Amino acid sequence: MDAGPMPLPTGGEAASGSGALLSRGVITVLWNLVSLALVLGLWQLAAFLVASPFFPGPLKIVDAFVQLATRGDTYGHSLLTHSWASIHRVLVGFALGVALGVPLGLLMGLYPGIYAGTRAVIEPFRFIPPIAWIPLAIILFSGLTRFAFLIFLGAFFPIFTATLVGVARVEPIHRKVGVVHGAGKWWILRSVVVPTVLPDILGGMRVGLGTAWLTIVAAELAGGISTGLGRMMINYAELLQVSHVIVGMLVIGFVGFLMNECLLMIEKRLFRWRWQVSL
Amino acid sequence: MARDQALAAPPKVEVNASHRYGALVVHEQIRFKVAANEFLCICGPSGCGKSTLLDMLAGILRPTGGSVLIDGRPADPKRQSISFVFQEPSTFPWLNVRDNVATGLRIKGTPRAEVDAKVSETLRLVGLNGFENYYPHQISGGMKQRVAIARAFATDADLILMDEPFVSLDQPTRERMQGEVLDIWRRRRRTVIFVTHNIEEAIFLGDRILVLSAKPARIDAELPVTLARPRDPLSPEFMRLRADCLKWLNPTGADAGRARAPASPQD
Repeated sequence: MDAGPMPLPTGGEAASGSGALLSRGVITVLWNLVSLALVLGLWQLAAFLVASPFFPGPLKIVDAFVQLATRGDTYGHSLLTHSWASIHRVLVGFALGVALGVPLGLLMGLYPGIYAGTRAVIEPFRFIPPIAWIPLAIILFSGLTRFAFLIFLGAFFPIFTATLVGVARVEPIHRKVGVVHGAGKWWILRSVVVPTVLPDILGGMRVGLGTAWLTIVAAELAGGISTGLGRMMINYAELLQVSHVIVGMLVIGFVGFLMNECLLMIEKRLFRWRWQVSL
Repeated sequence: MARDQALAAPPKVEVNASHRYGALVVHEQIRFKVAANEFLCICGPSGCGKSTLLDMLAGILRPTGGSVLIDGRPADPKRQSISFVFQEPSTFPWLNVRDNVATGLRIKGTPRAEVDAKVSETLRLVGLNGFENYYPHQISGGMKQRVAIARAFATDADLILMDEPFVSLDQPTRERMQGEVLDIWRRRRRTVIFVTHNIEEAIFLGDRILVLSAKPARIDAELPVTLARPRDPLSPEFMRLRADCLKWLNPTGADAGRARAPASPQD
């Protein structure tokens, strides 16, 4: 490090003597830790300066988190119970969205006539946000069914649309390879259409998961149940316990992030054949 | 020669077909036969309907008139064993080299052990052994085309249709691939119909060359190539054949007496 300027500057990625020993991955992790620490430090400082019960610092948040995780909320439901309630609802609704969105997208992509003939029925639904369905869902359904229904509405369209658009990416030449070798429709669907569309389906699933997660919190805020992260946040908001509300927000962000990472890992494994996986 | 005894046997392929798209006549009663194990080259100007002809031979396009018979039955990819090498890149990007080559065999429901054996044997034949686990984006364009050729030759298909398979390759690769195809054809004894607009390629490869006219396509000439392989493109005989072909492809000053034209109603 005490040597003079390097004789051959090799661009931004060229590291100094000690940096070259660390892999890029480690450096990325270090940078993330530094930026995280910086934000938390500034937050704590601001909370100290403002000194208001409505502006808790990170330390207060940690306190609230520990309290919720170990002793539970005012009703005795632990943070894990709330988180699992929300995750469970999301997974059920999301699975429904995949189970209907993918086959319908494939069907309408392969037979554009069906899509063209039903557009007037399908498309307007896309523009009704899942949140706008909440009042109706409260009247029609209760419990898990209500949440599964709302999350399904949120997850379905991104998955359906991505699949539908993806089918157009099937190369006629790939289909022809199958046909000239005597393949039937089923083989072409399984071995040409699905592999081509799979990246789009996974992309649509990541968007759909985001929508699903967004919908669950809104649906839980609407009430009628005792568990769920949204429910927990509303309870504490009514008690003006800001730290506990923020714990709910952070858990939502973190769980959503983890789910997305899981899908990304599946993509990386499935699509080794691609140049790279886009984020 | 093998070709002579093959010609005595019933033809592998018998074409007597016309095709039109609406008012556009692509083929006006085109007639020819191909013997088993023959290497037939079809040469013609761009846009003369060579690809349409191959689609009819592959059985994925029904001629609007007449018939295309393979072993005496109408061409049908589900009932006959036909393989196809396309002009454009046709490997599946999501499959590695091994699985790409296995595609045709798997469609035919070949048992797993047999697929493995045939695939590795064919990969050795095209010099791709060691690349089994590579994905198409990791190998060159020439290697991808070799994968497509291996896919066609790995099956038991006794009729292999090739649609200008080397057109996108550079000259040295192209020449090497021509040699490789001849080598595989000789070892595996298959009937090959090879479409090209490159005369040298047709003369270098074919037992026989059919020269097609511009649309509506007819067979203008049929030229047997009796030169011993490997053929030297610089030999006088090769040059003479080339001149003959060129005369048919560029009709100005065409001399019908030089080449033997098939008896077809138009002529």
